[in-house]
Amino acid sequence: MSSKIECDKLCPEWPCEQPEEFRNVWVIVEAEEGRLSEPSLQMLTPGRKISDKLGEKLVGVLVGYGVSHLAEEVIKYGADEVIVVDSEAFKTYYPRVYALAVVELARRYKPSVIFIAGTKRGREFAPYVANTLRAGITADCTDFDVDVNSRDVLLIRPPFAAILLAFIKTPFRRPQIGTARPNVFPVPVRDESRRGEVIFEKVKVATENKMRLVSRKEIARMEVSVEKAEVIVSGGKGVGGPEGFKILERLAELLGGTVGGSRKAVDAGWISEDRQVGQTGKSVKPILYIAVGISGAAQHMIGVREAIRVIAVNIDPEAPIFNQADYSVIGDYREVIPALIEELEILKARGPDAAKEYMEWLKTLET
Amino acid sequence: MRVVVGIKWVPNTQAVRFDPETGTLIRRGVPSIVNPHDLPAVELSLRLRDEVGGEVIAIAMAPPPASKGLEFVLGMGVDRAILITDRVYAGADTLATSYVLARAIQKINAEIGDVDLVVFGQETIDSSTAHIPAQVASWLELPYIYYVKEATVVGNGRVRVVRELENYLEEYELELPAVLGVAIRALKPRPVSLSMKLRTKFEKRLITWTNNDLKLDPRCTGLKGSPTIVAKTIDMPEVPRRREVFKARDAREAAKWIVAKMLADEKTRELLYRSLWGGRG
Ligand SMILES: Cc1cc2nc3c(=O)[nH]c(=O)nc-3n(C[C@H](O)[C@H](O)[C@H](O)COP(=O)(O)OP(=O)(O)OC[C@H]3O[C@@H](n4cnc5c(N)ncnc54)[C@H](O)[C@@H]3O)c2cc1C
Ligand SMILES: Nc1ncnc2c1ncn2[C@@H]1O[C@H](COP(=O)(O)O)[C@@H](O)[C@H]1O
Repeated sequence: MSSKIECDKLCPEWPCEQPEEFRNVWVIVEAEEGRLSEPSLQMLTPGRKISDKLGEKLVGVLVGYGVSHLAEEVIKYGADEVIVVDSEAFKTYYPRVYALAVVELARRYKPSVIFIAGTKRGREFAPYVANTLRAGITADCTDFDVDVNSRDVLLIRPPFAAILLAFIKTPFRRPQIGTARPNVFPVPVRDESRRGEVIFEKVKVATENKMRLVSRKEIARMEVSVEKAEVIVSGGKGVGGPEGFKILERLAELLGGTVGGSRKAVDAGWISEDRQVGQTGKSVKPILYIAVGISGAAQHMIGVREAIRVIAVNIDPEAPIFNQADYSVIGDYREVIPALIEELEILKARGPDAAKEYMEWLKTLET
Repeated sequence: MRVVVGIKWVPNTQAVRFDPETGTLIRRGVPSIVNPHDLPAVELSLRLRDEVGGEVIAIAMAPPPASKGLEFVLGMGVDRAILITDRVYAGADTLATSYVLARAIQKINAEIGDVDLVVFGQETIDSSTAHIPAQVASWLELPYIYYVKEATVVGNGRVRVVRELENYLEEYELELPAVLGVAIRALKPRPVSLSMKLRTKFEKRLITWTNNDLKLDPRCTGLKGSPTIVAKTIDMPEVPRRREVFKARDAREAAKWIVAKMLADEKTRELLYRSLWGGRG
């Protein structure tokens, strides 16, 4: 068990509290346009794991306006209990208002852990929650665990260029707060038969009188997002220009997927920022990730960890990507990708029966 | 208008290591730079000043070599810079860092003049937490907003900003003083100009504050004031991959091999059948 906190050793700005006064694992569940946000549902996955390890309840916290009907859903996705604050005060999202509502609830209930999805909004309000509670916060966690001796939660994140994993704990403070990027965890399996308690709460949070939302418009994003795509054809610096991306788009279309890119491709303006894969971009989980002209830097590959298969096309036989892909070919993509498109088109025209020939050809290669 | 912009002095390498004993970053022998994501924040601050007058003050909590970074932004046109440095600030996590920065901003309020706007980069390349802007806003109880791409002063003590979320473009008006987190790539930073750099040298625009100046309780700063501690670090576990590399004679053969592998692999076969023929494999 954690040792007793000696209050005189703590910063006087912090309230002195004993860790054992805190229990239960919270997941802040966000709703938008009448639906639960997928990234916040994903946080129920590590939430379930940690609450089971601690032997504590998993509690969903839903703050918003017109959100009450969604509470039962949160239970079906794995929460034991849901705390709902449904008020017109939350009709428009303001980071401080939203954060202070969570702060007030946390002071009332004293959760030991709070998980928040690292959406842009989540990354914006979570540190305000943590700081107002004078609690520690760890961003972009890729895993969580519990230290068996102290029962502290280990918040695991890759700092410094994604080559290391740091295990972070907050032994003297509660709650222990962590965020994770969308798509690092899967959405839990929905269980229609799950039942749990829904608690309706009220909070007294001042309205935001120092800022106001002037306008809001949806950004027209074409096609499938990289987060949702089953196939991503991703281009890097080696693609050399926007014309190269046209070829990648044709391949993506043929495979029912979409295009993505490395940071260098985004920096060069060949592809839009919302399609960047990696540490400062998106984490993706396609069935197939085709990396074209991408060297395989750790900061890029961290976004591809959940991809089921990775195919790499690179001209440099020494490219690090070859150690991190399933199937690779060494070659100039300007030849390989058009040939691949052609090969697929021929196969498509010939129909499924032609598939056998490829398998036989593979066998001849192996002997 | 007085703008304070926070910059971080970060190691410029992708091969940074942790000291496994202490769990802290080994900075020795690693060249450092101004966090690149802070330069759009500096640019935004300078543009606001150029538009409405006033001054831009850059602050950095960092060890003494970070004065180089402050000189760099002075060279971009920042009016003055304050290096906040003390042994008791070492090893700070984001909460303890934000505490020192917030108290320094209050000291600027008291001794130099009221701060109207506090501007930060979106995140740093070494820790990339994006915590600091919100944490500083929390200490100072100021309105704040992240992912800002543009900002304009709209009179009667307000700033109007445009910010981009995943699927929305939003416009907000904030009453000053306020805190902004500026989006990566929001603005192209201006280059360092030689005349600005010389101005820096002669006019002593860079000052240093230590804890003798800020007089903060050492229990609230550095490692002691940090609720989070690094328990241990390990190398990033590798994702198991097949690592098959085919040395094809030509592009045709390479293409054929990729298709064959996609057909042979049960993980991708169904996908290929679906996308080519709309059926199952
Ligand atoms: C804090 C931090 C965060 C970062 N976040 C990200 C991130 O989110 N996403 C990201 O991608 N990067 C990120 N990076 C950058 C990362 O370190 C790499 O610089 C980047 O991923 C490299 O992009 P690239 O592979 O496209 O370019 P390069 O490394 O320049 O590789 C280009 C490759 O193309 C190959 N090539 C050239 N011509 C051809 C051809 N005709 N056919 C086939 N291959 C060819 C070359 O052999 C080479 O391997 C980050 C870095 C830092 C420090
Ligand atoms: N030590 C520091 N001194 C001054 N500004 C900082 C410091 N650390 C972080 N910042 C600012 O806060 C932003 C976000 O940093 P972080 O929360 O560490 O990702 C950075 O882009 C800087 O503008």
